[in-house]
Amino acid sequence: MVKKILMAKPGLDGHWRGAMVVSAALRDAGLEVIYLGNQNPEAIVHSAFQEDVEAIGLSILSAGHIDLIEQVVDCMRKKGMEDVILVVGGTIPGEDIPRLKEMGVDAVFPPGSKIERILEYFKQARKRSDEPTAGG
Amino acid sequence: MRIQGKEITTSSGIPVKNTYAQEDISGLDLTRDIGLPGEPPYLRGIYPNMYRGRMWTIRQFSGYATPEETNERFKYEYEMGGTGFSIAFDAVTENGLDPDDEGAEADVGRGGVNVCTLKDMETMFKDLPIDKISTAVIASPFSACPLSAMYFALAENRGIRLRELDGTTQNDILLFTACCHIPATIPPRHLIDLCVDLVEWSAQNAPKWHPVSFASYNYRENGLNAYQEVALLFANAIEYIEKELKRNRLHIEQFAPVLSFHMAAHNDILEEVAKFRAARRMWYRIMKERYGVSDPRAQVFRFHVQTSGSTHTYQQPLNNIVRIAYQVLAAALGGAQSIHANSFDEAICLPTELSVLISMRTQQICQYESGVTVTADPLGGSYYVEWLTGEIERRAWEYMARVEAAGGLVKALESGWIHREFFRAMADYQKEIQEGTRKVVGVNCYEMEEEPYQFPVFRPNRGSAAIQKAKLARIRLERDNEEVEKCIREVRGATERGENVMPSVIKAVKAYASLGEICDVWRDMYGLWEVPILKIE
Repeated sequence: MVKKILMAKPGLDGHWRGAMVVSAALRDAGLEVIYLGNQNPEAIVHSAFQEDVEAIGLSILSAGHIDLIEQVVDCMRKKGMEDVILVVGGTIPGEDIPRLKEMGVDAVFPPGSKIERILEYFKQARKRSDEPTAGG
Repeated sequence: MRIQGKEITTSSGIPVKNTYAQEDISGLDLTRDIGLPGEPPYLRGIYPNMYRGRMWTIRQFSGYATPEETNERFKYEYEMGGTGFSIAFDAVTENGLDPDDEGAEADVGRGGVNVCTLKDMETMFKDLPIDKISTAVIASPFSACPLSAMYFALAENRGIRLRELDGTTQNDILLFTACCHIPATIPPRHLIDLCVDLVEWSAQNAPKWHPVSFASYNYRENGLNAYQEVALLFANAIEYIEKELKRNRLHIEQFAPVLSFHMAAHNDILEEVAKFRAARRMWYRIMKERYGVSDPRAQVFRFHVQTSGSTHTYQQPLNNIVRIAYQVLAAALGGAQSIHANSFDEAICLPTELSVLISMRTQQICQYESGVTVTADPLGGSYYVEWLTGEIERRAWEYMARVEAAGGLVKALESGWIHREFFRAMADYQKEIQEGTRKVVGVNCYEMEEEPYQFPVFRPNRGSAAIQKAKLARIRLERDNEEVEKCIREVRGATERGENVMPSVIKAVKAYASLGEICDVWRDMYGLWEVPILKIE
C-alpha cells in the first residue's frame, strides 16, 4: 500500500487541472501527497529521492510523454529507485500504454479514469521489489 | 444539467423551474434591456443583420512540430474552407524560451508549433494570403510582444500596411498564470505592463489588430461555471483598462475598440446562449456606465468561441463529435464572430487531418444547413432564455465584486486567491462526476468495458527539437550579432525607462533576435514568478 506520493508535471506544459484534482483526491483519502508542479525530470526524481516517497505520479498533456518518461525512468535508474512506483496520467493514447509499461511505468490513468480506481490501485500497489503490480 | 435530490439545475448550478412564463421576465424593459440586434445594449447581437451580413469566421486553433509542418496544416485548412488562422505554439514558445534552452527539448514542437525567430514566422505563413485572411497569434503575455512583432514584421515585409492588418494576439495574463502556467515567466505585476504595452502600441499603430483577446475560455476549462467565466473575463479587461488609464497616455476611446474576447461553449446549450447574450449587455454597461464611452465600436462585445475541450471524453471518443456540434450550435445561437470547433480526438492526441476536417465540416453544416443563421438572435424573447440571461448577469456582477474585494485581478493572482477559486471549482466538478449528479456519457454512465472502435492517432515529429535547434544555430551565425546585441540593449533601456517596449522589440525581431533573447531581458530584470498553486492547501 502506497502512503506517500510525489505528484509533478514534467516539462513546461502548465495544464494543472488533472494533476491537482488527483492530488486532492489522494490527500482526501489519507495519502501524504507532495505536489511539485512543473519541474524537469531530474528535479522531480531528486525530490522524490529526498522525500523518500513510495510512488511518483506524473501528469502529461503535451504529447511529449515518451521522451519525458524516458528521462524520468533514466534518472530513477541512476538513483537506484527501481522500487519506486511510477504512474502516469494525462492525454496518453491507448496504443502507447504497452510501450510505457515496457519502459518501466507501473500504471497509466488516462482522462476520465475513476478516482476510486486510482485509489484502489494505490491501496493494492506494492513496490516492485516485493511483487509485480498489475494496474490500469 | 445536474440533478441533486429534487433540485434540477443548469450545468452551472442555477436552479431551473419546469416552465417559464411572462411573469419571469416582467421586470424587464423590452426596449432598454433587450432592444434589437445592432442596437444598445447589444444583447441581441452586435450587427443588425448578424450572419446574413457576414458568417462567423471558421478559425481552427492549429500548430505542431516545426513551422514547415504547421504551414502544411494551415494550407489544408484554408483549402477546406477555413476563413481565419490561429497559431497553437508549443510550451517552449509560450514560455519565451528558445528550442536550445536547457530542459526545453522534450517540449519542442509537441503541444504546438515551435517559433523562435522571424524566420519561423515567415516559414509558417509561406504562400498564405495574410492580407485577406486574419490570424490569431495565441501568445502568452510574456511572449506576446515579440511574437506579435514577428507577425507585424512579416506583414510589413510583404508590403501590408500595419494600419490595414487584421488579427488578434491572445495576450491574456490570467490564462497563462492561472490556467496553463508558464513556469518561466516574470511576476504578474510586471507582466501586466508588457500586456498593456501591446494594447497601447496597437491602438496607435495597428488599429485593426486586437492586441488582447481575454480568454475566459480557459478560465471555464479550469472548472469555473458560466457566470464565474463572464465575471473573471470582465475583471481582467477592467484590470488592463485601469492600467492603461493610469499611464495617462491614451484616452479610453482610443484603445477600448481594439479589445476582444474569447469564450467557451460548454455543454448546456441554453445556458451558454444566455451567457453570450449576458456578456454583450454587461460589456455595453461597463463601457457606457463605468467608463462613459459613447463610441459604439467600443461598446460592442466581439468574441471568438472555442468549444469546450474539458467536456471531451477519452472513452468512446467519436461521441465528442456530437458534443462539439451542440457547442457550435450554442455559439451560433449566441452570436459569435468567430468559432474554433475542437476535434474529437483531443483528449487523446493533437488533432489529425481527419478530425480537423470533421470539425470544419461541423461548422459549415451549422452555417448552411441548420437554419439557425437565417435570423438574428433567434432565441430572443424566449421566457427561459431571457430569464436565464438576466440571472447569469446578476450572478456575474456579484462574482466580479468579489474579485474587486480581493484587490483586483493582479493582486488576486499573486495572492493565490484566483488559484484557490479554480481549485475549488475543479474539485467540485470532479466530485459531481464521481457522485453522478453530473452525467458524462461513457464516463459515469453508458460505459463500455472495451473501446468499441479504433481511430488514427496523431504523432508529432520527434525530430522537431533537432530541426529547430539547427535553424536557430544557423541564424545566430548568419545575422549581424552586434546589431542584435544593440537591439537587445534597447529593449532593456525602454523597459527600464517605462517606455512602450514595442518599437524596440520590433527592431530586435527584424534583426533576427530570438524570442528567448528578448524574454531573457525581462527575466533578468524581474526574476521568475513562483506560481501560487503550491500554496493552495
